[in-house]
Amino acid sequence: MERLASDLLFNPTEEHRMLRQMVADFAAREVEPQAAAHDAKGELNVPLFRRLGDLGLLGITIPEADGGAGMDAVAAVIVHHELAKYDPGFTLAYLAHSMLFVNNFYHCSNAEQRSRYLPRVLSGEWVAGMGMTEPGAGTDVLGMTTTAVRDGDGWVLNGTKTYITNGCEGHCFLVYAKVEGRITAFVVDRDCPGFRTSNHIDKLGMRASTMSELIFEDCKVPGANVLGEVGSGLTHMMRNLEIERTTLAAMSVGIADRCVDIMVRYAEERHAFRQSINRFGQIQRYLADGFAMTEAAKCLVYNVARDIGPDVRNRVGSDAAKLFAAPVGKQVADYAMQVMGGAGYCKEFPVERLWRDAKLLEIGGGTIEAHQKNLTKDLTALLARG
Amino acid sequence: MKILVCVKRIPDPDESLKFAGGGLDYSASKWVPNAFDEYAIETALRLAEVVGGTQRLAEVIVLGIGPESQRQQLTQFLAMGADRGIIVDADPDKLDTATVSKLIAAVFKKEAADLLIAGKLSQDNEGGQVPQRVAGLLDVPQASFAATVEWDQAAKALTVGREVDDGVEVKRVPLPAVVSVDLRIVLPKSVKNGSTPATHAYQEGPRLASLKGITMAKRKPVAVLKPSDLGVAVGTNEQVVGVAAPPARKAGQKVKTVEELFEKLTKEAKVI
Repeated sequence: MERLASDLLFNPTEEHRMLRQMVADFAAREVEPQAAAHDAKGELNVPLFRRLGDLGLLGITIPEADGGAGMDAVAAVIVHHELAKYDPGFTLAYLAHSMLFVNNFYHCSNAEQRSRYLPRVLSGEWVAGMGMTEPGAGTDVLGMTTTAVRDGDGWVLNGTKTYITNGCEGHCFLVYAKVEGRITAFVVDRDCPGFRTSNHIDKLGMRASTMSELIFEDCKVPGANVLGEVGSGLTHMMRNLEIERTTLAAMSVGIADRCVDIMVRYAEERHAFRQSINRFGQIQRYLADGFAMTEAAKCLVYNVARDIGPDVRNRVGSDAAKLFAAPVGKQVADYAMQVMGGAGYCKEFPVERLWRDAKLLEIGGGTIEAHQKNLTKDLTALLARG
Repeated sequence: MKILVCVKRIPDPDESLKFAGGGLDYSASKWVPNAFDEYAIETALRLAEVVGGTQRLAEVIVLGIGPESQRQQLTQFLAMGADRGIIVDADPDKLDTATVSKLIAAVFKKEAADLLIAGKLSQDNEGGQVPQRVAGLLDVPQASFAATVEWDQAAKALTVGREVDDGVEVKRVPLPAVVSVDLRIVLPKSVKNGSTPATHAYQEGPRLASLKGITMAKRKPVAVLKPSDLGVAVGTNEQVVGVAAPPARKAGQKVKTVEELFEKLTKEAKVI
């Protein structure tokens, strides 16, 4: 087939195309068959997670010289898009590890820290996560109360992080805490004295990844575990939120894509009043609107991803991508369920699972309202700058 | 050891066929590697690698015959782990099976390869002739439709299990040789190379290219040859006269009683 011009947006290079094919094959062969069972159990499939390490996907944005794949944000979007078609919960565990920990850690760590952590997290031997949200501080992230105080060569952390994906299985976490009021990033290992995680927090969707609190009670963290300069945490946080939001948006696109595929097939095969239900205008609206919304979200997300990288700031783009794409996943999953009626509501088809999973994307990694707040502030600032 | 593996690109067999102008219309087709060629590269890689170590026991060369610009499937095999590639730049529509076989045999000789591993057939035409023809042209032993392969490195020979109609036939094949592979060659324990622990179980099926493999693939050398470089004249003695969809099945008849059915079967259809 001749290459369509629009394909350049989704697969800018041969490597991107091959990556998409590889992840799609992996997802169909190995991820889909286990998705419903892990959703039901509410557990992360750790052996399957390690397969992501075998395939080299855990360090997708890390330079080759440091053991990663050296690819860009578009590549990260491709992986999240393709995996989320089959198992958004598992994809969320991948995102928490590879984007929230690995990508963030890489850009604020020194050579010694990289040599200690990268081999274990890139192979999948260690599962990792990131701690930002607290019981009393979500969108109001600067209101966090977790503190870190100097203690000889090391640090003592006190506070609680909550809703932390991979909390139950994680071996290490990138944690934000305030040092004399200034946000600073630390890496905390599970065996740091005074650190523990709560029980699994049960949830509506994204059940193939786990969630818990991270609890720091006079937690002793070695001095060598400060990431970057003391007080530089906000810079790392804001930089990493861009790729985080863009890949979360890509997950929503994956959910929407799959739901369109399922409902189009179903509407052709399902008959009512002696004809396919896709002959009815009410159904056509779901199919056509769902497809158009999905395409719009996909184009926006891939376009924004082109301008996301360690040296490029694009908060407006990433906020806009997630603000627009997150409701699309939820809406299109809802359309698919409506088209399928009872079948869509039951667990025989994956739509009800995707529908439950989709809601998280309007909350995690920044609520819809946080994106609206940021965008208004940033657009107004741009206006003032002329 | 040098192992040569062929890859052919074919229209995706999962897509429905389109007809135009008395033939098949491939203009909107998605092209994929022939699945049996994927089994062939998996076989070659299992022979070449030592699981748990970094040593390579063989060089794996992937050969594609087709326009230089359409090398995506060859690149995919490099991403899976082949060491280098060779493209014979020619229009596959102008090559018959005999010419393709001559080109492969010529590359085999030029490379002084020890083993050709090929899929047992290509899923588009299902000719199933090329490996056998190449073995004939090279005058080397062959084992077709392999379901298991064991490499005896010291004796420079392969023991090949072939699935035939009445069971599994075991052949001992001295190298150099030609092996064509069937589906079961990618079961977890079908290939043994004498160095990877015999108890090792591979994941079933051809492997996925790792991301590292994908990023490395473009850096692997790919030589481009013309048929004339190999002393092979391009041409075909085959001609496609026409391709048409089978006639649509006529609507059946509904009968109300067993008696009516019996009547129709005996008098109309005359099958009883």
